Amino acid sequence: MSVIELSDVVKRYNNGDEEIAALKGVDLAVNRGEMVAIIGPSGSGKSTLLNVIGLLDTPTEGTVTLDGQDVTDLGTDGLTDHRRESIGFVFQAYHLLPIFTAVENVAVPSMWDSTVDRTDRARELLDRVGLGERLSHKPNQLSGGQQQRVAIARALVNEPHIILADEPTGNLDQDTGATILDELTRMKNEENVAIAAVTHDEQLTNYADRTVELVDGVRR
Amino acid sequence: MDPRQRFPSVVMAWRNLWRNRLRTVLAALGIVIGVVAIAGLGITGSALRYGTAQQFSDITNQATVMPGEDADQRHLTEAQVSAIREVASNATVIPIKEGSLQASSHTAETYTRVEQVTHPSDLYSAHRGTIPQPFRTGVLLNNETAAQLNVTVGDLVIVGDQSYKVRAILAEGGIGFRSSGVVVSPPALDKQGYSSVTIIAEDGDAAQHLANATEARFNTGEEVVRTSSFGGLNQRVGSLFSTLNLVLLGIGSISLVVAGVSILNIMLMSTIERRSEIGVLRAVGVRRQDVLRMILTEATLLGLIGGAVGAALSALIGAVLYNALYSSPMLVFRWASARYLLIGFGFGAFASVLSGIYPAWKAANKRPVEAIRS
Repeated sequence: MSVIELSDVVKRYNNGDEEIAALKGVDLAVNRGEMVAIIGPSGSGKSTLLNVIGLLDTPTEGTVTLDGQDVTDLGTDGLTDHRRESIGFVFQAYHLLPIFTAVENVAVPSMWDSTVDRTDRARELLDRVGLGERLSHKPNQLSGGQQQRVAIARALVNEPHIILADEPTGNLDQDTGATILDELTRMKNEENVAIAAVTHDEQLTNYADRTVELVDGVRR
Repeated sequence: MDPRQRFPSVVMAWRNLWRNRLRTVLAALGIVIGVVAIAGLGITGSALRYGTAQQFSDITNQATVMPGEDADQRHLTEAQVSAIREVASNATVIPIKEGSLQASSHTAETYTRVEQVTHPSDLYSAHRGTIPQPFRTGVLLNNETAAQLNVTVGDLVIVGDQSYKVRAILAEGGIGFRSSGVVVSPPALDKQGYSSVTIIAEDGDAAQHLANATEARFNTGEEVVRTSSFGGLNQRVGSLFSTLNLVLLGIGSISLVVAGVSILNIMLMSTIERRSEIGVLRAVGVRRQDVLRMILTEATLLGLIGGAVGAALSALIGAVLYNALYSSPMLVFRWASARYLLIGFGFGAFASVLSGIYPAWKAANKRPVEAIRS
């Protein structure tokens, strides 16, 4: 069964008087253990697509199904809960909190959830991405590649079904980008998680099981 | 359990405040100033009131009875004094005769008001020497007469045609103190009747009540006697100071409003600066109400810190004030003063939380997509 399934998704924005359609009827399904690269020129709607997959944005038309459940019309808080429970995020600019150590940053998604303590899992994940020696380092004491690995650990801390990666190698040089992609691929297999990555990076498409190209709001 | 797990909002808020220490200190300083304004002015008002109440306390329990407009004589008769004693059977009744006589010593002489009283210790206190009890011989002088006659305790003076030993120099001061130059014991004044009768009751209310009862006893349509008491004065002064304190608190509140606005401004700036961080929190599944709680906690911590420092400073200022006025710094912890410390602290914390609501609400409801992208 697909982790996430989009069917005939349309997303329109109001830009003043003008209505702009960013997505014009997109079907997409991503399965567990699969990495899908989403490519396309600027303005093709790939970021919008990623936001819809990540439940950060809701479609104007069409349906979104997460683990077989229709989540299209959930409210803000319902979507937030689903993101916390089932989805991990990796951003181009890492977006770690400067006030927290590596372990704390990894544990952030469940920080307000008093029913679980993910500190042990956070330590274990950091160990697995090769940062076992830097658990107490703050982001400003880590290199870009190390910060992105902390971000990967954070994306995995809630045992998600899918990870959304927005240009995960965009701020890194070629070699560091390659190690990050190795890491993502390894984690994908170990955790049996789906990955959807938006990218300009040719390198990333080589790691992907499948590439989806978006042009002007439709798949090609 | 790990405090991060138990109080995530507090940990988060504290670290964010710590991250911008200078800004945090400046924001808290606004609250400190506001709290000092409220508590400091309130304590100043209560200190002044305390001093005034001290001055009044000697006379507020007294009522004076004098001949009225329609009295047959210009004095109170023995029979009337007996009637007053009946009315005020629980209180001390002191009939007073007054006259003007020549007083002289070896070196000087003066013409002065003389008061004849049986129990002067109820009306006066001694500045030097002691007031005899019972009072049968000698005289008591006020400062002015003693200075004019150039005499002190133990010297001899002549009042009228009699020679007396000076027993005490009377203490003066306070509002309503008696101003006779010489106090003598009966039967020095050869006069019929009494110029007034002073009733000393338990407290201001009792004095007021006895004054009313005396008037009711004598005045049936005509004003045979007139009474005055200070019980009402005490109340009027009390309400005057209440108004004064309200005005002072109002002035103090303005500075707290200013402090609140500055916190609002600082919190708004800080949440705008952190909008991508907050967006990431929201994206990874932190609920809106948790973001709201986190930022409100920041404002609350600012208010608590500012309020506590402000209250401590105000207590210090109050102690210095009480020390200067009454040489007794600990009086600042009387409830009448100390409550302004609590009021100031409460207002400070409240203003701070209030100012945090809008920035917190705004940050919590920002869409994560916009926050991360921008």
